Amino acid sequence: QRFRFCGDLDCPDWVLAEISTLAKISSVKLKLICAQVLRDLLGEAIEYEKILKLTSDAKLESGDVKATIAVLSFILSSAAKHNVDSESLSSELQQLGLPKEHASGLCRSYEEKQSSLQDRLKACSLRLSRLGSVCWRVDYTLSSSELQDVNEPLVHLTFNVQDGEGRRTAVVPMTLSADKFRVLLTGETRGETLTLW
Amino acid sequence: MLLVLSEEQKAHLGFLPRVGGAAVGELGRLAMELLRRGAAPRVCEAAARKLDIDVDTVQHGVEGLSYLLTESSKLMISETDFQESIQVLGFSDELNQSLLQLYLDNRKEIRSILSELAPKFPSYHSLEWRLDVQLASRSLRQQIKPAVTLKLHLNQNEDQTAQVLQTDPSTLLHLIQQLEQALGEMKTNHCRRIVRNMK
Repeated sequence: QRFRFCGDLDCPDWVLAEISTLAKISSVKLKLICAQVLRDLLGEAIEYEKILKLTSDAKLESGDVKATIAVLSFILSSAAKHNVDSESLSSELQQLGLPKEHASGLCRSYEEKQSSLQDRLKACSLRLSRLGSVCWRVDYTLSSSELQDVNEPLVHLTFNVQDGEGRRTAVVPMTLSADKFRVLLTGETRGETLTLW
Repeated sequence: MLLVLSEEQKAHLGFLPRVGGAAVGELGRLAMELLRRGAAPRVCEAAARKLDIDVDTVQHGVEGLSYLLTESSKLMISETDFQESIQVLGFSDELNQSLLQLYLDNRKEIRSILSELAPKFPSYHSLEWRLDVQLASRSLRQQIKPAVTLKLHLNQNEDQTAQVLQTDPSTLLHLIQQLEQALGEMKTNHCRRIVRNMK
Protein backbone atom coordinates (compact mmCIF):
# COMPACT_ATOMS: atom_id res chain seq x y z
CA GLN A 1 0.00 0.00 0.00
CA ARG A 2 1.38 3.38 -1.01
CA PHE A 3 1.51 6.35 1.33
CA ARG A 4 1.96 9.95 0.28
CA PHE A 5 3.98 10.89 3.32
CA CYS A 6 6.47 8.12 2.45
CA GLY A 7 6.87 9.55 -1.03
CA ASP A 8 4.27 7.25 -2.66
CA LEU A 9 6.17 4.20 -1.47
CA ASP A 10 5.43 1.50 1.11
CA CYS A 11 5.68 2.54 4.72
CA PRO A 12 8.96 1.21 6.25
CA ASP A 13 8.49 -1.79 8.54
CA TRP A 14 10.08 -0.12 11.54
CA VAL A 15 7.63 2.80 11.32
CA LEU A 16 4.70 0.36 11.30
CA ALA A 17 6.15 -1.38 14.34
CA GLU A 18 6.58 1.83 16.32
CA ILE A 19 3.05 3.12 15.66
CA SER A 20 1.82 0.78 18.38
CA THR A 21 4.37 2.31 20.80
CA LEU A 22 3.00 5.76 19.97
CA ALA A 23 -0.51 4.59 20.80
CA LYS A 24 0.66 3.74 24.35
CA ILE A 25 1.29 7.44 25.11
CA SER A 26 -1.72 9.67 25.79
CA SER A 27 -2.66 11.98 22.90
CA VAL A 28 -2.04 15.15 24.93
CA LYS A 29 1.48 14.03 25.88
CA LEU A 30 2.13 12.94 22.30
CA LYS A 31 1.38 16.46 21.06
CA LEU A 32 3.92 17.87 23.55
CA ILE A 33 6.54 15.31 22.48
CA CYS A 34 5.87 16.32 18.86
CA ALA A 35 6.61 19.93 19.81
CA GLN A 36 10.00 18.84 21.18
CA VAL A 37 10.81 16.75 18.10
CA LEU A 38 9.88 19.71 15.88
CA ARG A 39 12.31 21.88 17.85
CA ASP A 40 15.05 19.37 17.09
CA LEU A 41 14.14 19.25 13.39
CA LEU A 42 14.19 23.06 13.24
CA GLY A 43 17.72 23.08 14.63
CA GLU A 44 17.00 24.18 18.21
CA ALA A 45 18.10 22.08 21.18
CA ILE A 46 15.90 19.15 22.10
CA GLU A 47 14.99 18.82 25.79
CA TYR A 48 15.41 15.11 26.35
CA GLU A 49 14.52 15.24 30.05
CA LYS A 50 11.10 16.70 29.24
CA ILE A 51 10.45 13.85 26.81
CA LEU A 52 11.53 11.34 29.46
CA LYS A 53 9.09 12.90 31.93
CA LEU A 54 6.27 12.83 29.38
CA THR A 55 6.86 9.17 28.54
CA SER A 56 7.27 8.04 32.13
CA ASP A 57 3.51 7.51 32.55
CA ALA A 58 3.41 5.09 29.64
CA LYS A 59 6.28 3.20 31.31
CA LEU A 60 8.38 3.06 28.16
CA GLU A 61 11.91 1.67 28.28
CA SER A 62 14.78 3.91 27.14
CA GLY A 63 14.95 2.09 23.80
CA ASP A 64 11.23 2.77 23.25
CA VAL A 65 11.68 6.49 24.04
CA LYS A 66 14.41 6.77 21.42
CA ALA A 67 12.27 4.81 18.96
CA THR A 68 9.37 7.21 19.59
CA ILE A 69 11.58 10.22 18.84
CA ALA A 70 12.93 8.51 15.72
CA VAL A 71 9.52 7.60 14.33
CA LEU A 72 8.09 11.08 15.01
CA SER A 73 11.15 12.67 13.33
CA PHE A 74 10.65 10.46 10.31
CA ILE A 75 6.90 11.11 9.99
CA LEU A 76 7.19 14.89 10.39
CA SER A 77 10.24 15.42 8.17
CA SER A 78 9.02 13.00 5.50
CA ALA A 79 5.59 14.67 5.40
CA ALA A 80 7.23 18.09 5.03
CA LYS A 81 9.60 16.72 2.39
CA HIS A 82 6.73 15.46 0.22
CA ASN A 83 4.56 18.49 0.96
CA VAL A 84 1.70 16.48 2.45
CA ASP A 85 -1.15 18.53 3.92
CA SER A 86 -2.20 17.79 7.46
CA GLU A 87 -5.59 16.13 6.69
CA SER A 88 -4.01 13.60 4.33
CA LEU A 89 -1.29 12.91 6.91
CA SER A 90 -3.92 12.36 9.59
CA SER A 91 -5.91 9.91 7.45
CA GLU A 92 -2.76 8.01 6.38
CA LEU A 93 -1.59 7.69 10.00
CA GLN A 94 -5.02 6.40 11.00
CA GLN A 95 -4.79 3.82 8.20
CA LEU A 96 -1.53 2.68 9.80
CA GLY A 97 -3.32 2.11 13.08
CA LEU A 98 -2.69 5.32 15.01
CA PRO A 99 -5.82 6.28 17.05
CA LYS A 100 -7.80 9.28 15.83
CA GLU A 101 -7.00 11.70 18.69
CA HIS A 102 -3.27 10.90 18.47
CA ALA A 103 -3.26 11.45 14.71
CA SER A 104 -5.15 14.74 14.91
CA GLY A 105 -2.90 16.05 17.72
CA LEU A 106 0.22 15.14 15.74
CA CYS A 107 -1.14 16.72 12.58
CA ARG A 108 -2.10 19.94 14.34
CA SER A 109 1.51 20.31 15.59
CA TYR A 110 2.69 19.51 12.06
CA GLU A 111 0.40 22.06 10.47
CA GLU A 112 1.63 24.89 12.70
CA LYS A 113 5.23 24.27 11.80
CA GLN A 114 4.94 22.92 8.27
CA SER A 115 6.23 25.97 6.43
CA SER A 116 9.14 26.64 8.85
CA LEU A 117 10.08 22.98 8.61
CA GLN A 118 10.09 23.16 4.82
CA ASP A 119 12.18 26.34 4.92
CA ARG A 120 14.67 24.66 7.20
CA LEU A 121 14.88 21.58 4.94
CA LYS A 122 15.43 23.85 1.95
CA ALA A 123 18.28 25.59 3.77
CA CYS A 124 19.85 22.22 4.62
CA SER A 125 19.74 21.01 1.01
CA LEU A 126 22.96 20.16 -0.72
CA ARG A 127 24.97 23.24 -1.56
CA LEU A 128 28.46 23.00 -2.96
CA SER A 129 29.58 26.53 -2.31
CA ARG A 130 28.13 29.88 -1.45
CA LEU A 131 29.18 33.41 -2.25
CA GLY A 132 29.81 35.12 1.05
CA SER A 133 30.62 38.65 0.06
CA VAL A 134 32.23 40.74 -2.65
CA CYS A 135 34.67 43.58 -1.99
CA TRP A 136 35.76 45.99 -4.67
CA ARG A 137 38.17 48.82 -5.27
CA VAL A 138 38.72 51.01 -8.31
CA ASP A 139 42.23 52.29 -9.01
CA TYR A 140 43.31 54.70 -11.68
CA THR A 141 46.68 53.97 -13.29
CA LEU A 142 48.43 57.18 -14.16
CA SER A 143 51.61 55.86 -15.73
CA SER A 144 53.86 52.82 -15.79
CA SER A 145 57.39 51.80 -16.69
CA GLU A 146 56.16 50.91 -20.21
CA LEU A 147 54.10 53.95 -21.04
CA GLN A 148 54.17 57.41 -19.52
CA ASP A 149 50.47 58.33 -19.90
CA VAL A 150 48.30 55.32 -19.16
CA ASN A 151 45.21 56.92 -17.58
CA GLU A 152 43.22 53.71 -17.29
CA PRO A 153 40.84 52.66 -14.52
CA LEU A 154 41.43 49.23 -12.93
CA VAL A 155 38.88 47.26 -10.92
CA HIS A 156 39.95 44.96 -8.06
CA LEU A 157 37.39 42.41 -6.90
CA THR A 158 37.62 39.95 -4.00
CA PHE A 159 35.07 37.13 -3.73
CA ASN A 160 34.72 35.41 -0.38
CA VAL A 161 33.48 31.91 -1.17
CA GLN A 162 32.24 29.54 1.53
CA ASP A 163 31.95 25.79 1.09
CA GLY A 164 28.60 23.99 1.25
CA GLU A 165 28.46 23.76 5.03
CA GLY A 166 29.55 27.36 5.42
CA ARG A 167 32.73 26.41 7.23
CA ARG A 168 35.84 27.18 5.23
CA THR A 169 36.09 30.45 3.32
CA ALA A 170 38.23 30.76 0.22
CA VAL A 171 39.29 34.20 -0.95
CA VAL A 172 39.37 34.70 -4.68
CA PRO A 173 40.97 38.01 -5.72
CA MET A 174 40.95 39.29 -9.29
CA THR A 175 41.85 42.40 -11.23
CA LEU A 176 39.98 43.50 -14.34
CA SER A 177 40.33 46.30 -16.82
CA ALA A 178 37.34 48.59 -17.28
CA ASP A 179 36.21 46.88 -20.50
CA LYS A 180 36.41 43.37 -19.05
CA PHE A 181 34.48 44.57 -16.05
CA ARG A 182 31.73 45.92 -18.31
CA VAL A 183 31.52 42.52 -20.05
CA LEU A 184 31.22 40.79 -16.67
CA LEU A 185 28.51 43.18 -15.56
CA THR A 186 26.50 42.73 -18.78
CA GLY A 187 26.71 38.93 -18.41
CA GLU A 188 25.49 39.24 -14.82
CA THR A 189 22.50 41.42 -15.67
CA ARG A 190 21.55 39.12 -18.57
CA GLY A 191 21.71 36.14 -16.19
CA GLU A 192 19.59 38.01 -13.71
CA THR A 193 16.86 38.79 -16.26
CA LEU A 194 16.69 35.09 -17.13
CA THR A 195 15.96 34.18 -13.53
CA LEU A 196 13.08 36.60 -13.48
CA TRP A 197 10.91 34.83 -16.06
CA MET B 1 49.68 -26.07 16.78
CA LEU B 2 52.31 -25.08 19.29
CA LEU B 3 53.25 -21.59 20.27
CA VAL B 4 56.90 -20.72 19.89
CA LEU B 5 58.31 -18.27 22.43
CA SER B 6 61.57 -16.44 21.78
CA GLU B 7 64.35 -16.42 24.38
CA GLU B 8 63.55 -12.83 25.27
CA GLN B 9 59.90 -13.66 25.92
CA LYS B 10 60.89 -16.67 28.02
CA ALA B 11 63.13 -14.39 30.07
CA HIS B 12 60.29 -11.87 30.49
CA LEU B 13 57.91 -14.52 31.74
CA GLY B 14 60.63 -16.12 33.84
CA PHE B 15 59.94 -14.05 36.92
CA LEU B 16 56.35 -15.34 37.26
CA PRO B 17 57.20 -18.29 39.57
CA ARG B 18 58.76 -15.82 42.00
CA VAL B 19 55.49 -14.02 42.69
CA GLY B 20 52.54 -15.66 44.39
CA GLY B 21 49.39 -17.03 42.75
CA ALA B 22 47.34 -13.92 43.53
CA ALA B 23 50.00 -11.74 41.94
CA VAL B 24 49.79 -13.81 38.76
CA GLY B 25 46.07 -13.05 38.69
CA GLU B 26 46.81 -9.36 39.14
CA LEU B 27 49.39 -9.41 36.32
CA GLY B 28 46.90 -11.23 34.12
CA ARG B 29 44.40 -8.46 34.77
CA LEU B 30 47.04 -5.85 33.86
CA ALA B 31 47.79 -7.73 30.65
CA MET B 32 44.08 -7.64 29.70
CA GLU B 33 43.91 -3.91 30.48
CA LEU B 34 46.95 -3.43 28.24
CA LEU B 35 45.04 -5.11 25.43
CA ARG B 36 41.83 -3.21 26.06
CA ARG B 37 43.19 0.26 26.62
CA GLY B 38 46.87 0.36 25.73
CA ALA B 39 49.92 1.01 27.92
CA ALA B 40 49.38 2.40 31.42
CA PRO B 41 52.81 2.90 33.01
CA ARG B 42 51.42 4.25 36.27
CA VAL B 43 49.41 1.08 36.92
CA CYS B 44 52.55 -1.02 36.32
CA GLU B 45 54.45 1.15 38.81
CA ALA B 46 51.77 0.66 41.45
CA ALA B 47 51.80 -3.11 40.88
CA ALA B 48 55.62 -3.13 41.06
CA ARG B 49 55.56 -1.36 44.43
CA LYS B 50 52.92 -3.73 45.78
CA LEU B 51 54.79 -6.86 44.63
CA ASP B 52 58.18 -5.44 45.64
CA ILE B 53 59.79 -6.04 42.22
CA ASP B 54 61.30 -3.38 39.98
CA VAL B 55 59.10 -1.65 37.38
CA ASP B 56 60.89 -2.89 34.26
CA THR B 57 60.44 -6.54 35.23
CA VAL B 58 56.74 -6.00 35.85
CA GLN B 59 56.39 -4.13 32.53
CA HIS B 60 58.16 -6.88 30.59
CA GLY B 61 56.18 -9.53 32.39
CA VAL B 62 52.86 -7.88 31.56
CA GLU B 63 53.91 -7.47 27.94
CA GLY B 64 55.03 -11.08 27.77
CA LEU B 65 51.72 -12.26 29.23
CA SER B 66 49.73 -10.16 26.77
CA TYR B 67 51.81 -11.57 23.88
CA LEU B 68 51.14 -15.09 25.14
CA LEU B 69 47.41 -14.38 25.36
CA THR B 70 47.08 -12.63 21.98
CA GLU B 71 49.05 -15.24 20.06
CA SER B 72 47.10 -18.09 21.66
CA SER B 73 43.76 -16.37 21.01
CA LYS B 74 44.77 -15.44 17.46
CA LEU B 75 45.57 -19.05 16.58
CA MET B 76 42.72 -20.44 18.73
CA ILE B 77 45.03 -23.13 20.09
CA SER B 78 43.51 -25.94 22.09
CA GLU B 79 44.06 -26.48 25.82
CA THR B 80 46.57 -29.27 25.33
CA ASP B 81 48.58 -27.24 22.81
CA PHE B 82 48.61 -24.27 25.19
CA GLN B 83 49.81 -26.43 28.05
CA GLU B 84 52.53 -27.99 25.91
CA SER B 85 53.64 -24.57 24.72
CA ILE B 86 54.11 -23.19 28.24
CA GLN B 87 55.68 -26.45 29.41
CA VAL B 88 58.96 -25.15 27.95
CA LEU B 89 58.96 -22.32 30.54
CA GLY B 90 59.31 -24.90 33.29
CA PHE B 91 56.63 -23.52 35.59
CA SER B 92 54.85 -25.37 38.39
CA ASP B 93 51.59 -27.16 37.58
CA GLU B 94 49.64 -24.65 39.63
CA LEU B 95 51.08 -21.72 37.60
CA ASN B 96 50.40 -23.55 34.34
CA GLN B 97 46.83 -24.13 35.43
CA SER B 98 46.26 -20.44 36.30
CA LEU B 99 47.76 -19.36 32.96
CA LEU B 100 45.50 -21.82 31.13
CA GLN B 101 42.49 -20.48 33.03
CA LEU B 102 43.50 -16.92 32.17
CA TYR B 103 43.69 -17.89 28.50
CA LEU B 104 40.34 -19.68 28.42
CA ASP B 105 38.50 -16.95 30.34
CA ASN B 106 39.67 -14.13 28.12
CA ARG B 107 39.94 -15.82 24.74
CA LYS B 108 36.64 -14.58 23.34
CA GLU B 109 37.20 -10.99 24.39
CA ILE B 110 40.71 -10.90 22.95
CA ARG B 111 39.45 -12.26 19.65
CA SER B 112 36.84 -9.52 19.43
CA ILE B 113 39.48 -6.85 20.15
CA LEU B 114 41.76 -8.37 17.50
CA SER B 115 38.96 -8.42 14.93
CA GLU B 116 38.69 -4.64 15.18
CA LEU B 117 42.33 -4.22 14.21
CA ALA B 118 41.84 -5.35 10.61
CA PRO B 119 42.39 -2.58 8.02
CA LYS B 120 39.21 -0.89 6.99
CA PHE B 121 38.13 0.66 3.77
CA PRO B 122 36.26 3.94 3.83
CA SER B 123 32.69 3.06 4.63
CA TYR B 124 29.42 4.67 3.69
CA HIS B 125 28.14 7.33 6.07
CA SER B 126 25.43 9.22 4.19
CA LEU B 127 24.45 10.47 0.74
CA GLU B 128 23.07 13.93 -0.03
CA TRP B 129 21.59 14.54 -3.45
CA ARG B 130 20.11 17.36 -5.47
CA LEU B 131 18.26 17.46 -8.79
CA ASP B 132 18.94 20.55 -10.90
CA VAL B 133 17.80 21.59 -14.34
CA GLN B 134 20.00 23.87 -16.41
CA LEU B 135 17.75 26.30 -18.26
CA ALA B 136 20.24 28.59 -19.92
CA SER B 137 23.91 29.41 -20.06
CA ARG B 138 25.97 32.28 -21.39
CA SER B 139 26.38 30.46 -24.71
CA LEU B 140 22.92 28.94 -25.18
CA ARG B 141 19.48 30.03 -24.01
CA GLN B 142 16.34 27.94 -23.60
CA GLN B 143 17.82 24.59 -22.73
CA ILE B 144 16.52 21.78 -20.57
CA LYS B 145 19.42 19.82 -19.09
CA PRO B 146 18.73 17.86 -15.91
CA ALA B 147 21.64 16.93 -13.66
CA VAL B 148 21.88 15.06 -10.38
CA THR B 149 24.50 16.26 -7.91
CA LEU B 150 25.56 13.76 -5.24
CA LYS B 151 27.66 14.27 -2.13
CA LEU B 152 28.88 10.95 -0.77
CA HIS B 153 29.99 11.16 2.87
CA LEU B 154 32.50 8.47 3.83
CA ASN B 155 33.92 7.41 7.19
CA GLN B 156 37.40 5.99 7.57
CA ASN B 157 38.71 5.50 11.10
CA GLU B 158 36.77 8.49 12.42
CA ASP B 159 37.93 10.59 9.43
CA GLN B 160 35.08 12.06 7.46
CA THR B 161 35.60 12.75 3.80
CA ALA B 162 33.10 13.83 1.18
CA GLN B 163 33.13 13.13 -2.52
CA VAL B 164 31.06 15.32 -4.86
CA LEU B 165 29.79 13.68 -8.04
CA GLN B 166 27.55 14.89 -10.79
CA THR B 167 25.70 12.86 -13.37
CA ASP B 168 22.73 13.03 -15.72
CA PRO B 169 19.63 10.95 -14.95
CA SER B 170 20.25 8.26 -17.60
CA THR B 171 23.73 7.49 -16.23
CA LEU B 172 22.24 7.38 -12.75
CA LEU B 173 19.63 4.85 -13.90
CA HIS B 174 22.39 2.74 -15.45
CA LEU B 175 24.34 2.94 -12.16
CA ILE B 176 21.27 1.81 -10.21
CA GLN B 177 20.76 -1.07 -12.64
CA GLN B 178 24.38 -2.22 -12.22
CA LEU B 179 24.13 -2.06 -8.41
CA GLU B 180 20.87 -4.03 -8.47
CA GLN B 181 22.54 -6.65 -10.66
CA ALA B 182 25.34 -6.85 -8.09
CA LEU B 183 22.78 -7.41 -5.32
CA GLY B 184 21.07 -9.97 -7.51
CA GLU B 185 24.29 -12.03 -7.56
CA MET B 186 23.58 -12.98 -3.95
CA LYS B 187 20.57 -14.95 -5.13
CA THR B 188 22.43 -17.13 -7.63
CA ASN B 189 23.04 -20.79 -6.81
CA HIS B 190 26.78 -20.29 -6.53
CA CYS B 191 26.50 -17.63 -3.82
CA ARG B 192 23.72 -19.51 -2.02
CA ARG B 193 25.91 -22.62 -1.78
CA ILE B 194 28.79 -20.63 -0.27
CA VAL B 195 26.54 -18.84 2.23
CA ARG B 196 25.02 -22.16 3.31
CA ASN B 197 28.46 -23.64 3.87
CA MET B 198 29.62 -20.65 5.88
CA LYS B 199 26.66 -20.91 8.22
